[in-house]
Amino acid sequence: MAFFYKNAKFRFFEILPLFMLFFTAFNGNSTLDFNFFSINLHYILVYYWVLRHPQNLGYGFIFLAGLVNDVVFGFPLGINSLSLLVIAGMAAYVRVVTVRITLTNDWISFVPALLVANFVYFISLSLTNHSIDYFFLFQNSLATFIFYPLLWMFFSVILKIIKS
Amino acid sequence: METRRDDVGIAIRSAFLTKGTKQKFSLFVLIVLSILLIFLETYKTKPLNYFRALVKDTIYRGALVVSTPSKTISSLSKYISEHTNLYRNYKKLQNENNELKDDISKSDFLELENSQLRKLIEEQVSSSKNIVSARVMMDKQSPYLNSYIINIGNNKKIKNGMEVLDGKNFIGRTVDVNFFSTRVLLVSDLNSKIPVVAEPSGNHSILSGHGVNMPTLEYLPKKHNVQNGDKIYTSGRAGIFSPGIPIGEAKVENNIIKVLLFSDLDQVTFVNVNLENKSSK
Repeated sequence: MAFFYKNAKFRFFEILPLFMLFFTAFNGNSTLDFNFFSINLHYILVYYWVLRHPQNLGYGFIFLAGLVNDVVFGFPLGINSLSLLVIAGMAAYVRVVTVRITLTNDWISFVPALLVANFVYFISLSLTNHSIDYFFLFQNSLATFIFYPLLWMFFSVILKIIKS
Repeated sequence: METRRDDVGIAIRSAFLTKGTKQKFSLFVLIVLSILLIFLETYKTKPLNYFRALVKDTIYRGALVVSTPSKTISSLSKYISEHTNLYRNYKKLQNENNELKDDISKSDFLELENSQLRKLIEEQVSSSKNIVSARVMMDKQSPYLNSYIINIGNNKKIKNGMEVLDGKNFIGRTVDVNFFSTRVLLVSDLNSKIPVVAEPSGNHSILSGHGVNMPTLEYLPKKHNVQNGDKIYTSGRAGIFSPGIPIGEAKVENNIIKVLLFSDLDQVTFVNVNLENKSSK
Protein backbone atom coordinates (compact mmCIF):
# COMPACT_ATOMS: atom_id res chain seq x y z
CA MET A 1 0.00 0.00 0.00
CA ALA A 2 2.76 2.38 0.99
CA PHE A 3 4.65 1.49 -2.19
CA PHE A 4 1.53 2.09 -4.29
CA TYR A 5 0.94 5.48 -2.62
CA LYS A 6 4.56 6.51 -3.15
CA ASN A 7 4.44 5.41 -6.78
CA ALA A 8 1.17 7.26 -7.44
CA LYS A 9 2.54 10.42 -5.80
CA PHE A 10 5.70 10.18 -7.90
CA ARG A 11 3.70 9.71 -11.12
CA PHE A 12 1.41 12.64 -10.26
CA PHE A 13 4.27 15.06 -9.70
CA GLU A 14 6.12 13.74 -12.73
CA ILE A 15 3.27 14.61 -15.12
CA LEU A 16 2.32 17.82 -13.29
CA PRO A 17 4.38 20.17 -15.56
CA LEU A 18 2.88 18.55 -18.66
CA PHE A 19 -0.60 18.74 -17.18
CA MET A 20 -0.13 22.43 -16.32
CA LEU A 21 1.16 23.15 -19.82
CA PHE A 22 -1.85 21.60 -21.57
CA PHE A 23 -4.46 22.66 -19.03
CA THR A 24 -3.47 26.32 -19.34
CA ALA A 25 -3.24 26.01 -23.14
CA PHE A 26 -6.73 24.53 -23.51
CA ASN A 27 -8.17 26.92 -20.94
CA GLY A 28 -6.64 29.97 -22.63
CA ASN A 29 -4.76 30.85 -19.45
CA SER A 30 -1.23 30.65 -20.80
CA THR A 31 -1.13 34.41 -20.22
CA LEU A 32 -2.46 35.08 -16.73
CA ASP A 33 -4.16 38.45 -17.01
CA PHE A 34 -4.55 40.44 -13.81
CA ASN A 35 -5.89 43.97 -13.69
CA PHE A 36 -2.59 45.81 -13.85
CA PHE A 37 -0.20 43.23 -15.22
CA SER A 38 -0.08 39.87 -16.91
CA ILE A 39 2.33 36.95 -16.78
CA ASN A 40 3.18 34.51 -19.53
CA LEU A 41 2.97 31.28 -17.57
CA HIS A 42 3.98 29.13 -20.55
CA TYR A 43 7.30 30.90 -21.00
CA ILE A 44 8.25 30.38 -17.36
CA LEU A 45 6.99 26.79 -17.31
CA VAL A 46 8.85 25.78 -20.48
CA TYR A 47 12.03 27.64 -19.54
CA TYR A 48 12.23 26.18 -16.05
CA TRP A 49 11.49 22.56 -16.94
CA VAL A 50 13.65 22.40 -20.06
CA LEU A 51 16.47 23.96 -18.06
CA ARG A 52 16.16 21.89 -14.90
CA HIS A 53 14.50 18.59 -15.79
CA PRO A 54 13.85 18.20 -19.54
CA GLN A 55 12.69 14.59 -19.08
CA ASN A 56 9.38 15.93 -17.77
CA LEU A 57 8.57 18.18 -20.70
CA GLY A 58 9.21 16.78 -24.18
CA TYR A 59 9.77 19.16 -27.08
CA GLY A 60 6.94 17.47 -28.99
CA PHE A 61 4.51 18.30 -26.18
CA ILE A 62 5.72 21.90 -26.12
CA PHE A 63 5.06 22.10 -29.87
CA LEU A 64 1.55 20.65 -29.44
CA ALA A 65 0.73 22.96 -26.53
CA GLY A 66 1.77 25.89 -28.73
CA LEU A 67 -0.59 24.71 -31.47
CA VAL A 68 -3.46 24.44 -28.96
CA ASN A 69 -2.66 27.94 -27.74
CA ASP A 70 -2.71 29.26 -31.31
CA VAL A 71 -6.13 27.77 -31.98
CA VAL A 72 -7.60 28.96 -28.68
CA PHE A 73 -6.32 32.51 -29.19
CA GLY A 74 -7.17 32.52 -32.89
CA PHE A 75 -3.63 33.05 -34.15
CA PRO A 76 -2.23 31.36 -37.27
CA LEU A 77 -0.99 27.84 -36.48
CA GLY A 78 2.68 27.70 -35.45
CA ILE A 79 3.22 31.14 -33.91
CA ASN A 80 3.07 30.16 -30.24
CA SER A 81 4.78 26.83 -30.98
CA LEU A 82 7.71 28.67 -32.50
CA SER A 83 8.11 31.14 -29.63
CA LEU A 84 7.81 28.34 -27.02
CA LEU A 85 10.39 26.25 -28.88
CA VAL A 86 12.72 29.25 -29.00
CA ILE A 87 12.39 29.56 -25.22
CA ALA A 88 13.07 25.80 -24.95
CA GLY A 89 16.10 26.15 -27.22
CA MET A 90 17.56 28.97 -25.14
CA ALA A 91 16.95 26.95 -21.97
CA ALA A 92 18.65 23.89 -23.50
CA TYR A 93 21.64 26.04 -24.47
CA VAL A 94 21.92 27.52 -20.97
CA ARG A 95 21.69 23.99 -19.53
CA VAL A 96 24.62 22.88 -21.67
CA VAL A 97 26.88 25.82 -20.79
CA THR A 98 26.16 26.17 -17.05
CA VAL A 99 27.26 24.01 -14.17
CA ARG A 100 25.89 25.66 -11.03
CA ILE A 101 22.15 25.83 -10.43
CA THR A 102 21.16 29.11 -8.79
CA LEU A 103 18.11 31.28 -9.01
CA THR A 104 20.22 34.29 -10.02
CA ASN A 105 21.84 32.41 -12.93
CA ASP A 106 18.47 31.20 -14.16
CA TRP A 107 16.86 34.58 -13.75
CA ILE A 108 19.55 36.49 -15.64
CA SER A 109 19.67 33.95 -18.46
CA PHE A 110 15.88 34.18 -18.73
CA VAL A 111 16.20 37.78 -20.03
CA PRO A 112 17.76 36.96 -23.43
CA ALA A 113 15.40 33.99 -23.79
CA LEU A 114 12.41 36.26 -23.21
CA LEU A 115 13.74 38.91 -25.62
CA VAL A 116 14.45 36.45 -28.43
CA ALA A 117 11.11 34.63 -27.98
CA ASN A 118 9.17 37.91 -28.05
CA PHE A 119 11.14 39.08 -31.08
CA VAL A 120 10.20 35.88 -32.92
CA TYR A 121 6.59 36.39 -31.77
CA PHE A 122 6.48 39.98 -33.12
CA ILE A 123 8.03 38.99 -36.43
CA SER A 124 5.71 36.05 -37.04
CA LEU A 125 2.64 38.10 -36.08
CA SER A 126 3.59 40.97 -38.36
CA LEU A 127 4.30 38.52 -41.21
CA THR A 128 0.76 37.18 -40.87
CA ASN A 129 -0.79 40.70 -40.65
CA HIS A 130 -2.02 40.47 -37.07
CA SER A 131 -2.28 43.65 -35.01
CA ILE A 132 -1.07 43.43 -31.46
CA ASP A 133 -0.84 45.77 -28.51
CA TYR A 134 2.92 46.28 -28.24
CA PHE A 135 2.70 48.10 -24.92
CA PHE A 136 0.79 45.17 -23.47
CA LEU A 137 3.47 42.76 -24.69
CA PHE A 138 6.21 44.90 -23.15
CA GLN A 139 4.30 45.02 -19.87
CA ASN A 140 3.73 41.27 -20.06
CA SER A 141 7.43 40.55 -20.64
CA LEU A 142 8.42 42.75 -17.72
CA ALA A 143 5.93 41.08 -15.36
CA THR A 144 6.97 37.62 -16.59
CA PHE A 145 10.58 38.48 -15.77
CA ILE A 146 9.69 39.91 -12.34
CA PHE A 147 7.53 36.96 -11.33
CA TYR A 148 9.99 34.33 -12.54
CA PRO A 149 11.57 33.75 -9.08
CA LEU A 150 8.18 33.12 -7.49
CA LEU A 151 7.31 30.37 -9.94
CA TRP A 152 10.92 29.14 -9.85
CA MET A 153 10.50 28.44 -6.14
CA PHE A 154 7.16 26.70 -6.71
CA PHE A 155 8.57 24.50 -9.48
CA SER A 156 11.69 23.78 -7.39
CA VAL A 157 9.46 22.28 -4.69
CA ILE A 158 7.81 20.02 -7.31
CA LEU A 159 11.21 19.05 -8.70
CA LYS A 160 12.46 18.22 -5.21
CA ILE A 161 9.50 15.89 -4.72
CA ILE A 162 10.10 14.23 -8.11
CA LYS A 163 13.78 13.71 -7.34
CA SER A 164 13.10 12.38 -3.86
CA MET B 1 38.99 31.92 -19.21
CA GLU B 2 38.49 32.56 -22.91
CA THR B 3 35.47 30.98 -24.59
CA ARG B 4 36.37 29.52 -27.94
CA ARG B 5 34.05 29.73 -30.93
CA ASP B 6 34.16 25.92 -31.22
CA ASP B 7 32.74 25.57 -27.69
CA VAL B 8 29.77 27.82 -28.53
CA GLY B 9 29.14 25.83 -31.71
CA ILE B 10 29.23 22.55 -29.81
CA ALA B 11 26.82 23.94 -27.17
CA ILE B 12 24.37 25.17 -29.83
CA ARG B 13 24.55 21.86 -31.70
CA SER B 14 24.01 19.98 -28.48
CA ALA B 15 21.00 22.15 -27.55
CA PHE B 16 19.23 22.28 -30.90
CA LEU B 17 20.21 19.15 -32.83
CA THR B 18 20.74 16.44 -30.23
CA LYS B 19 17.73 14.55 -28.93
CA GLY B 20 17.76 14.44 -25.13
CA THR B 21 16.67 11.57 -22.91
CA LYS B 22 13.00 10.70 -23.47
CA GLN B 23 12.86 13.24 -26.34
CA LYS B 24 11.44 11.93 -29.62
CA PHE B 25 12.16 15.02 -31.73
CA SER B 26 15.09 17.43 -31.86
CA LEU B 27 14.35 21.11 -31.30
CA PHE B 28 15.59 22.03 -34.76
CA VAL B 29 13.07 19.75 -36.51
CA LEU B 30 10.16 21.16 -34.51
CA ILE B 31 11.25 24.77 -35.07
CA VAL B 32 11.39 24.11 -38.83
CA LEU B 33 7.94 22.47 -38.62
CA SER B 34 6.53 25.53 -36.81
CA ILE B 35 7.94 27.91 -39.44
CA LEU B 36 6.48 25.69 -42.16
CA LEU B 37 3.07 25.81 -40.46
CA ILE B 38 3.17 29.62 -40.29
CA PHE B 39 3.91 29.83 -44.01
CA LEU B 40 1.24 27.23 -44.83
CA GLU B 41 -1.28 29.47 -43.08
CA THR B 42 -1.05 31.90 -45.98
CA TYR B 43 -2.06 29.20 -48.51
CA LYS B 44 -5.81 28.74 -48.82
CA THR B 45 -6.32 25.44 -50.62
CA LYS B 46 -9.26 23.12 -50.01
CA PRO B 47 -7.39 20.16 -48.43
CA LEU B 48 -5.43 22.54 -46.18
CA ASN B 49 -8.61 24.35 -45.18
CA TYR B 50 -10.24 21.00 -44.32
CA PHE B 51 -7.22 20.00 -42.27
CA ARG B 52 -7.21 23.34 -40.43
CA ALA B 53 -10.97 23.15 -39.78
CA LEU B 54 -10.60 19.61 -38.42
CA VAL B 55 -7.73 20.56 -36.10
CA LYS B 56 -9.56 23.65 -34.85
CA ASP B 57 -12.85 21.83 -34.31
CA THR B 58 -11.07 19.13 -32.29
CA ILE B 59 -9.19 21.63 -30.15
CA TYR B 60 -12.33 23.73 -29.54
CA ARG B 61 -14.19 20.63 -28.30
CA GLY B 62 -11.22 19.75 -26.09
CA ALA B 63 -11.04 23.29 -24.76
CA LEU B 64 -14.76 23.17 -24.00
CA VAL B 65 -14.27 20.09 -21.83
CA VAL B 66 -11.14 21.40 -20.10
CA SER B 67 -12.70 24.78 -19.31
CA THR B 68 -15.79 23.21 -17.69
CA PRO B 69 -14.47 23.37 -14.07
CA SER B 70 -13.40 27.03 -14.32
CA LYS B 71 -16.68 27.92 -16.06
CA THR B 72 -18.65 26.20 -13.30
CA ILE B 73 -16.76 28.09 -10.60
CA SER B 74 -17.22 31.46 -12.33
CA SER B 75 -20.94 30.87 -12.95
CA LEU B 76 -21.35 29.83 -9.30
CA SER B 77 -19.69 33.02 -8.06
CA LYS B 78 -21.82 35.06 -10.48
CA TYR B 79 -24.93 33.30 -9.19
CA ILE B 80 -24.03 34.16 -5.59
CA SER B 81 -23.24 37.80 -6.38
CA GLU B 82 -26.49 38.13 -8.33
CA HIS B 83 -28.40 36.91 -5.30
CA THR B 84 -26.67 39.34 -2.99
CA ASN B 85 -27.50 42.23 -5.32
CA LEU B 86 -31.11 41.17 -5.82
CA TYR B 87 -32.79 44.07 -4.00
CA ARG B 88 -30.59 46.74 -5.59
CA ASN B 89 -31.22 45.29 -9.04
CA TYR B 90 -34.95 45.15 -8.37
CA LYS B 91 -35.05 48.87 -7.56
CA LYS B 92 -32.97 49.69 -10.63
CA LEU B 93 -35.21 47.61 -12.89
CA GLN B 94 -38.32 49.24 -11.44
CA ASN B 95 -36.97 52.68 -12.36
CA GLU B 96 -35.93 51.49 -15.82
CA ASN B 97 -39.36 49.95 -16.34
CA ASN B 98 -41.05 53.25 -15.56
CA GLU B 99 -38.77 55.08 -17.99
CA LEU B 100 -39.36 52.46 -20.70
CA LYS B 101 -43.13 52.72 -20.30
CA ASP B 102 -42.82 56.44 -20.98
CA ASP B 103 -40.70 55.75 -24.06
CA ILE B 104 -42.94 53.06 -25.57
CA SER B 105 -45.47 55.47 -26.96
CA LYS B 106 -42.69 57.49 -28.58
CA SER B 107 -40.92 54.44 -30.06
CA ASP B 108 -44.11 52.99 -31.59
CA PHE B 109 -44.57 56.15 -33.55
CA LEU B 110 -40.90 56.23 -34.59
CA GLU B 111 -40.98 52.58 -35.71
CA LEU B 112 -43.97 53.24 -37.94
CA GLU B 113 -42.34 56.31 -39.37
CA ASN B 114 -39.06 54.42 -39.91
CA SER B 115 -40.67 51.53 -41.81
CA GLN B 116 -42.54 54.01 -44.01
CA LEU B 117 -39.34 55.88 -44.76
CA ARG B 118 -37.49 52.65 -45.55
CA LYS B 119 -40.20 51.66 -47.98
CA LEU B 120 -39.85 55.05 -49.52
CA ILE B 121 -36.14 54.53 -50.25
CA GLU B 122 -36.85 50.90 -51.32
CA GLU B 123 -34.44 49.43 -48.85
CA GLN B 124 -34.93 45.78 -47.95
CA VAL B 125 -36.04 45.37 -44.35
CA SER B 126 -34.13 42.41 -42.93
CA SER B 127 -36.22 39.34 -42.35
CA SER B 128 -35.99 37.25 -39.19
CA LYS B 129 -35.82 34.14 -41.40
CA ASN B 130 -32.21 34.99 -42.20
CA ILE B 131 -31.18 34.82 -38.58
CA VAL B 132 -29.74 31.68 -37.04
CA SER B 133 -29.06 31.31 -33.31
CA ALA B 134 -25.96 29.81 -31.77
CA ARG B 135 -24.54 29.10 -28.35
CA VAL B 136 -21.24 30.64 -27.22
CA MET B 137 -18.88 27.73 -26.54
CA MET B 138 -15.88 29.76 -25.43
CA ASP B 139 -15.31 33.44 -24.92
CA LYS B 140 -11.74 34.65 -25.04
CA GLN B 141 -11.49 38.19 -23.71
CA SER B 142 -7.79 38.79 -23.55
CA PRO B 143 -5.60 41.73 -24.58
CA TYR B 144 -4.45 39.55 -27.50
CA LEU B 145 -7.85 38.66 -28.84
CA ASN B 146 -11.48 39.38 -28.03
CA SER B 147 -13.54 36.68 -29.65
CA TYR B 148 -16.19 34.02 -29.14
CA ILE B 149 -16.32 30.50 -30.46
CA ILE B 150 -19.89 29.59 -31.40
CA ASN B 151 -21.24 26.08 -31.94
CA ILE B 152 -22.29 26.38 -35.59
CA GLY B 153 -20.22 26.57 -38.74
CA ASN B 154 -20.39 25.35 -42.31
CA ASN B 155 -23.15 22.95 -41.23
CA LYS B 156 -25.51 25.98 -40.84
CA LYS B 157 -24.23 27.81 -43.93
CA ILE B 158 -22.16 30.30 -41.97
CA LYS B 159 -19.62 32.25 -44.02
CA ASN B 160 -16.86 34.69 -43.19
CA GLY B 161 -17.92 38.30 -42.62
CA MET B 162 -21.50 37.69 -41.41
CA GLU B 163 -22.82 40.03 -38.75
CA VAL B 164 -23.31 38.62 -35.24
CA LEU B 165 -25.94 40.07 -32.93
CA ASP B 166 -26.74 39.84 -29.26
CA GLY B 167 -30.51 40.22 -29.39
CA LYS B 168 -30.73 43.18 -31.76
CA ASN B 169 -27.35 44.67 -30.92
CA PHE B 170 -24.33 44.29 -33.18
CA ILE B 171 -21.41 42.64 -31.36
CA GLY B 172 -19.08 41.35 -34.07
CA ARG B 173 -18.58 39.36 -37.24
CA THR B 174 -17.63 35.82 -38.20
CA VAL B 175 -13.98 35.42 -39.15
CA ASP B 176 -12.94 31.77 -39.00
CA VAL B 177 -15.55 29.24 -40.08
CA ASN B 178 -14.98 25.52 -39.43
CA PHE B 179 -17.35 22.54 -39.85
CA PHE B 180 -19.05 22.79 -36.47
CA SER B 181 -17.63 25.95 -34.96
CA THR B 182 -16.97 29.55 -35.89
CA ARG B 183 -14.84 32.30 -34.39
CA VAL B 184 -16.62 35.62 -33.89
CA LEU B 185 -14.35 38.67 -33.88
CA LEU B 186 -15.90 41.07 -31.37
CA VAL B 187 -16.12 44.83 -31.90
CA SER B 188 -13.74 45.30 -28.97
CA ASP B 189 -10.93 43.37 -30.69
CA LEU B 190 -7.83 45.21 -31.86
CA ASN B 191 -8.37 43.97 -35.43
CA SER B 192 -12.04 45.04 -35.60
CA LYS B 193 -12.95 48.05 -37.78
CA ILE B 194 -16.68 48.67 -38.35
CA PRO B 195 -18.23 51.53 -40.40
CA VAL B 196 -20.73 53.29 -38.14
CA VAL B 197 -22.93 56.34 -37.97
CA ALA B 198 -23.67 58.45 -34.89
CA GLU B 199 -27.21 59.61 -34.23
CA PRO B 200 -28.54 62.31 -34.09
CA SER B 201 -25.45 64.07 -35.48
CA GLY B 202 -25.32 61.75 -38.53
CA ASN B 203 -21.51 61.73 -38.63
CA HIS B 204 -19.96 58.69 -40.27
CA SER B 205 -16.86 57.08 -38.74
CA ILE B 206 -15.05 53.81 -38.08
CA LEU B 207 -15.55 51.96 -34.81
CA SER B 208 -12.15 50.65 -33.84
CA GLY B 209 -11.52 48.02 -31.14
CA HIS B 210 -8.74 48.34 -28.55
CA GLY B 211 -8.62 45.00 -26.74
CA VAL B 212 -9.40 45.43 -23.06
CA ASN B 213 -10.36 49.10 -23.39
CA MET B 214 -13.61 50.44 -24.86
CA PRO B 215 -13.79 50.76 -28.68
CA THR B 216 -13.45 54.29 -30.06
CA LEU B 217 -14.70 56.26 -33.05
CA GLU B 218 -12.00 57.06 -35.58
CA TYR B 219 -11.84 59.02 -38.86
CA LEU B 220 -14.57 61.42 -37.77
CA PRO B 221 -14.79 64.73 -39.69
CA LYS B 222 -12.91 67.58 -37.98
CA LYS B 223 -16.11 69.49 -37.26
CA HIS B 224 -18.22 66.69 -35.90
CA ASN B 225 -21.11 67.03 -33.47
CA VAL B 226 -20.85 63.72 -31.62
CA GLN B 227 -21.72 64.20 -27.97
CA ASN B 228 -22.13 62.15 -24.83
CA GLY B 229 -25.08 59.80 -25.12
CA ASP B 230 -25.29 59.79 -28.94
CA LYS B 231 -26.36 56.39 -30.25
CA ILE B 232 -24.00 54.50 -32.55
CA TYR B 233 -25.38 52.31 -35.35
CA THR B 234 -23.83 50.36 -38.22
CA SER B 235 -23.82 52.66 -41.22
CA GLY B 236 -24.02 49.95 -43.90
CA ARG B 237 -21.32 51.76 -45.87
CA ALA B 238 -19.15 49.52 -48.05
CA GLY B 239 -22.11 47.14 -48.15
CA ILE B 240 -20.64 44.72 -45.61
CA PHE B 241 -23.21 45.01 -42.83
CA SER B 242 -26.87 45.98 -42.76
CA PRO B 243 -27.44 49.62 -41.79
CA GLY B 244 -29.08 50.73 -38.54
CA ILE B 245 -28.05 47.93 -36.19
CA PRO B 246 -27.53 49.42 -32.73
CA ILE B 247 -24.03 49.07 -31.26
CA GLY B 248 -23.65 51.43 -28.32
CA GLU B 249 -23.58 54.91 -26.87
CA ALA B 250 -20.92 57.60 -27.29
CA LYS B 251 -18.90 58.68 -24.27
CA VAL B 252 -16.53 61.62 -24.77
CA GLU B 253 -13.36 61.48 -22.65
CA ASN B 254 -10.41 63.85 -23.27
CA ASN B 255 -11.53 64.46 -26.87
CA ILE B 256 -11.55 60.71 -27.51
CA ILE B 257 -14.98 59.33 -28.36
CA LYS B 258 -15.36 55.98 -26.68
CA VAL B 259 -18.33 53.73 -27.30
CA LEU B 260 -20.12 52.08 -24.40
CA LEU B 261 -21.54 48.91 -25.96
CA PHE B 262 -25.21 48.09 -25.46
CA SER B 263 -24.30 44.43 -24.91
CA ASP B 264 -22.13 43.29 -22.03
CA LEU B 265 -19.72 41.03 -23.94
CA ASP B 266 -18.85 39.06 -20.80
CA GLN B 267 -22.44 38.01 -20.28
CA VAL B 268 -23.47 36.75 -23.71
CA THR B 269 -24.58 33.09 -23.90
CA PHE B 270 -26.52 33.00 -27.18
CA VAL B 271 -25.95 35.02 -30.33
CA ASN B 272 -27.79 35.50 -33.61
CA VAL B 273 -25.96 35.31 -36.91
CA ASN B 274 -27.42 37.12 -39.90
CA LEU B 275 -27.08 34.70 -42.82
CA GLU B 276 -27.56 37.49 -45.31
CA ASN B 277 -23.90 37.98 -46.11
CA LYS B 278 -23.79 41.26 -47.97
CA SER B 279 -20.07 41.05 -48.69
CA SER B 280 -20.45 37.77 -50.59
CA LYS B 281 -22.99 39.22 -53.02
